[in-house]
Amino acid sequence: MRSSLFGLIAAMALAVTTVHAAEIEHELGVTDVPDNPERIVVLEFSFIDALASVGVAPVGIADDERRERVISAYTDVIGDEWVSVGTRRSPSLEVIASLQPDLIIADLSRHGEAYETLSQIAPTIVLDSLAGDYHDSVEQMSVVGAAIGKSEEMDARVAEHRALMEDYVAQIRPLSEGKSAQFGVTNANGLWLHSPASYNGSLLEMFGFSSTMRPDGDGGVYETNYVPTTLEQLSEVNPDILIFGEYADPSFVDGWAGETLYDALGAVQSDRVFNVTAHNWSRLRGMLAAELTAADLLEIMGQLE
Amino acid sequence: MSLAVGRAGAARLPLGLSVALLLIAIAGGALFSLVTGGRSDIGLAAIFKGDATSAAVIRDIRAPRSLAAALIGINLGLAGLALQAVTRNPLASPSILGINQGAAFGLALALIAPHAVPLPLDGMAMLGALAAGILTFAIAGGFAGRIDAMRLILGGVAVGAFSYALVRFAYTLEDELARSVVRWTVGDITDIRWPPVLRMAFWTVSGVIVAMLAAHRFNLMAMGQDVAKSLGADPRVTLLIGMLLAAGLTGAAVSVAGPIAFAGLIVPHMAKLLFGQDHRILVPTTALLGAALMLVADGMSKVVSPPVEVPVGVVVALIGAPWFLLQTLLAEDLE
Repeated sequence: MRSSLFGLIAAMALAVTTVHAAEIEHELGVTDVPDNPERIVVLEFSFIDALASVGVAPVGIADDERRERVISAYTDVIGDEWVSVGTRRSPSLEVIASLQPDLIIADLSRHGEAYETLSQIAPTIVLDSLAGDYHDSVEQMSVVGAAIGKSEEMDARVAEHRALMEDYVAQIRPLSEGKSAQFGVTNANGLWLHSPASYNGSLLEMFGFSSTMRPDGDGGVYETNYVPTTLEQLSEVNPDILIFGEYADPSFVDGWAGETLYDALGAVQSDRVFNVTAHNWSRLRGMLAAELTAADLLEIMGQLE
Repeated sequence: MSLAVGRAGAARLPLGLSVALLLIAIAGGALFSLVTGGRSDIGLAAIFKGDATSAAVIRDIRAPRSLAAALIGINLGLAGLALQAVTRNPLASPSILGINQGAAFGLALALIAPHAVPLPLDGMAMLGALAAGILTFAIAGGFAGRIDAMRLILGGVAVGAFSYALVRFAYTLEDELARSVVRWTVGDITDIRWPPVLRMAFWTVSGVIVAMLAAHRFNLMAMGQDVAKSLGADPRVTLLIGMLLAAGLTGAAVSVAGPIAFAGLIVPHMAKLLFGQDHRILVPTTALLGAALMLVADGMSKVVSPPVEVPVGVVVALIGAPWFLLQTLLAEDLE
């Protein structure tokens, strides 16, 4: 009796010191996250954006096994001590487990299926980064902030970001009025347009651009964010401004130069085709990423006049 | 084992009528494929309107794509016909013998490690097709002179599964590489232009000529390896011709459109149903039937769920699988 009472007291003492946890609500439920997690693994680039914005360095990143994909704007803050846990598409559970994390931040569409497994390794929160739009990505910042116990710092950074973006909007909107713009990425094998529902689509909309990407001519929206597009389909979309992110040189779109249908595009005729860094626009999402995109857009609009 | 195809010509249409129907199907398929596409404003009327944009769309974008579809149909149809003839097995086809997957394996290898492979994309596809074909035939005992039907199919399934494992592995690589491999291996001819189509046309024309020349050998083979040998046609030579033909035609098709299943299996069966068992007639008619099927499938791939195009390989499987199942269920002498 005495020994079991002692055990109970010991267990309660232990509980008081370690259990203190925040309940974080996310896409796949509610997760108890320990206070101030120190060994964080992130499985999408937008979660690096979130951590870097409050000066926290993750121990593991799904960096596609290419460390240069974590751009200097992030490494300036988080350093380069992280361990690569594989590709974002299929991160290595073994490497993640070996890092003994106390928090994993995963993406809904990429890693939703692995939520149970990830949760066995460490408390896991799942956010909709890949399929979410810009506004979602900013809202996710607060969730990450709460999960890592830095809500106040995060709220301050988000407020600063919103003010900065409002400033960009005020500068770009007068120039974008009545113009349609379309972003797409192209590698060596094809072109994928980012639909109005996508992260970049929602950013362009915020900056006042309209979209000519309509699946059935009126009102409908694409179910997917990234739409494989042929030259013929592009000529039907035919936006005023075309912004391409090229993953290959020469890209698939480069091969269209000189074709009648490509040369007849409104944006080509009026010399309004622009190239941006595909990585920053397409793979990165979040506050710093959106600020980079906004700066690019402002520069593009400056070239129009 | 043989499926009940073209039995004794009982219900067969007259040859002239069949060919006429086939030509109508090709013309219809070609028209269907030409008047559909991403630009919804360019349809049937645009062909006769003759403005610059319509002409450019039809000439530069839709015509090469339609021709590519037709050539792929010819290639896969003839590859299947040759394989069925030399193996004397009605189930033989590029996808069942692992040749399609071998070609995709070669392609995936060239995409993942472009500097480590000796040949460009289409060369690697043909090399992969050939290697898979040789392996399957070796497993089946083909080079010892006797092909065991069951071992042929099992060998093909094994080689195909092994080859496709690498392709599947490529899906797990990082996004851009995975997208490229998926695009190359899903059976897709969107946004194809004249140069690759003309390259494939060279292989198709060569293949048709070789197949015509080998048609008599294929007929002898059908009578049995011993009969063929006694009539002066070494079955091993016929086997080699058939396999090279199938690998070349399949590799050329896969390098352009990715592995398209079922076309190589059902087109020869349809042709035998319509035209009987004489390969001198089967070679040209299988080619025409393959072209017709792929043209219709290409047109359908563009109208099923616009504006997103369904890969043509998916459409062919959707047409081919039920047809093949029906044939199997209706076959009376399926041993």
